[in-house]
Amino acid sequence: MLAVQLLINGVLLGGTYVLIAQSLNLIFGVMRVVNLAHGSFIVMAGLFTFWLSARTGLSPLIVLPIVFVVSFVVGGLLQPVLIEPLMNQGRRAELLSLMVTFGLDYVLVQIALHVWGADYVSLPYLQSTWTFGAITLSKALLVVGLFAVGIVALLYFGLNYTSFGKSLLAASQSPVGAACCGINVRRVRLFAFALGVALASSAGTLLIMILPMAAESADNLTILAFVIVALGGLGEYAGVTIAALLLGLAQSLAGYFFGGDVANVLPFVILIAVMLLWPQGLRRAA
Amino acid sequence: MTNTHLLHRLAWASGMAMLLSFVATPGQAADKPILIGATSSETGPFAADAEYNLNGMKLAIEEANAKGGWLGRKLELKIYDDESKPGTAVRLYTRLITEDKADLLIGPYSSGITQAIAPLMNKQQYAVIEPEASIPTIYVPGNKWNFQGVASSLTYLEGLLPLANKNGAKTVAVLGLKSAFTLACYDARIEQAEKLGMKVVYKTTYSLPEPDFASMALAIKNAQPDVVLGCTYYPDAVGLVKAFQAQGFAPKYFAETVGPVAAAYTKALGPLANGIISNTGWWHNFKTPGSKEFTEHYKAMFKQDPDYHSAAGYGAVKVLGAAVEGTKSLDQDKIRVWLHANTVETVQGPFKVDANGLSQGFSQSLVQIQEGHLKLVTPEDMAEAKLLVPYPGK
Repeated sequence: MLAVQLLINGVLLGGTYVLIAQSLNLIFGVMRVVNLAHGSFIVMAGLFTFWLSARTGLSPLIVLPIVFVVSFVVGGLLQPVLIEPLMNQGRRAELLSLMVTFGLDYVLVQIALHVWGADYVSLPYLQSTWTFGAITLSKALLVVGLFAVGIVALLYFGLNYTSFGKSLLAASQSPVGAACCGINVRRVRLFAFALGVALASSAGTLLIMILPMAAESADNLTILAFVIVALGGLGEYAGVTIAALLLGLAQSLAGYFFGGDVANVLPFVILIAVMLLWPQGLRRAA
Repeated sequence: MTNTHLLHRLAWASGMAMLLSFVATPGQAADKPILIGATSSETGPFAADAEYNLNGMKLAIEEANAKGGWLGRKLELKIYDDESKPGTAVRLYTRLITEDKADLLIGPYSSGITQAIAPLMNKQQYAVIEPEASIPTIYVPGNKWNFQGVASSLTYLEGLLPLANKNGAKTVAVLGLKSAFTLACYDARIEQAEKLGMKVVYKTTYSLPEPDFASMALAIKNAQPDVVLGCTYYPDAVGLVKAFQAQGFAPKYFAETVGPVAAAYTKALGPLANGIISNTGWWHNFKTPGSKEFTEHYKAMFKQDPDYHSAAGYGAVKVLGAAVEGTKSLDQDKIRVWLHANTVETVQGPFKVDANGLSQGFSQSLVQIQEGHLKLVTPEDMAEAKLLVPYPGK
């Protein structure tokens, strides 16, 4: 029974990691932009959800579509101004995009600090469990896990079976080739960035139910997302899902058997090991 | 106008200006406010609690200024944000000393940050009250200039284990965040449990950002301790309670050091906060001198209830004021000698230190969250409610 509970804990933790990492991966996959403002979108959405729910009593699950739409629009407005102009900079684009998104991260964190203060907050929502014999399932974690499954399914089918998804993949593999085939690469990039921001923000709305968050959590979340994406392979959707789940399981086991200290450093130890052995990420190693 | 005339006039004007400046200097110095410098964790993981501490200082300074200040001079508080980082605090205290030329300094929030700035105080010879540095390792032989303005971390949750043991609790799990204050508490409680003959069935340390508490909670669930002691700060205190609930485990006694006393805690946890035990160095019904006025003034000024962090910040300014008035000077060495030799009654209890600056007068009382509100449960003569066990966990 213990093994089952550890497995469930690991998968659910992995589910939150999927949520945190997959949107960063989407933006990188299409634009080769590592969005350093990723964590601040998560945190801003989380703090906004706390603020709105605490005031109106609205369930975070009702706030979720609001956050999704608003952040999609925000992403769509930011991309043409901040990211798109870098796309014709050739090789310099990747470095420049790091600088631009670092700046954006700084601005967003300062806005969050100004609007909501520096305190850690969390929402007491879905704080109950289902018990099946010796197995306990937290409702909040389960909801987060289900959304993670939903996002993975959406990305998988959207990318592989819709024409827009295919053009998105084509644009990420060869922007020039895609443009020659009549794909509006600019529009694809705009959509991918907006969707990435909307998914990151949705993650924030869900995560505020399970972990305390403050404006300054942004950078930790970006680093965590980056570690998972690097493990799975940048731009590899299946690889990142596998990496997130494996990391969740590994941390769950390490936390149980060796305590918090080991669980804390584990993602970085695994990252170093994977980078040494399979620099292309777990997916390509497989 | 001839050149001679112009020179005469210039000479006369500059002579008058010099004379005026001589006449004006003593008066200006007397009117110039006394600059009190400190850093506070306005951002970072300590921000929630540090705000209360800073508010306490602000109130004490406001009260002192309303009474004409110290030595006939008004007080001015200069605060920098140390971002909850020791390195930043060291840089900012250096700035307060060298650039701002602060007359007096007060310590920052948290033991870890104070530990970083304490050597600077010894080097620069500033007599500093440390309102939030509860670890005893700062106040050791060789330390001459840092004075503990809060109960020692060895006393955090000290009252709980004997109480639980008396009521039949036999086993304990102890968790500690890796920071100077929480680790001192972690070691002290493990040692205390063993002395009491209680079995420590699980212990672990962790660091921020939060690890996965679910696995630790599951391991503790399997060990089935009667008492869980978390030597925590705010974010991990919240994360831990949520993880226990998610794993379906509620120990009989569930206590955490820092976190439960903050107003944000019950907001973050809702009904799960009910039954959580914590501690406080000050409570509004303490019968210490000035406690009632402190509570009233604080509520009026900040529209929130003060907590023990507020009382510590408030007390630090009051003790410093007593030393300045007692020595009738801003001379750091005179203040240092005075602080060693005197006892000052504060809202937290008597400020009294040993030869190394370690507090000898302050202690900790237990509080418990009951129906969303903190209630004092020890000492018996001041308790507002009885300690409720077991922790419901839902």
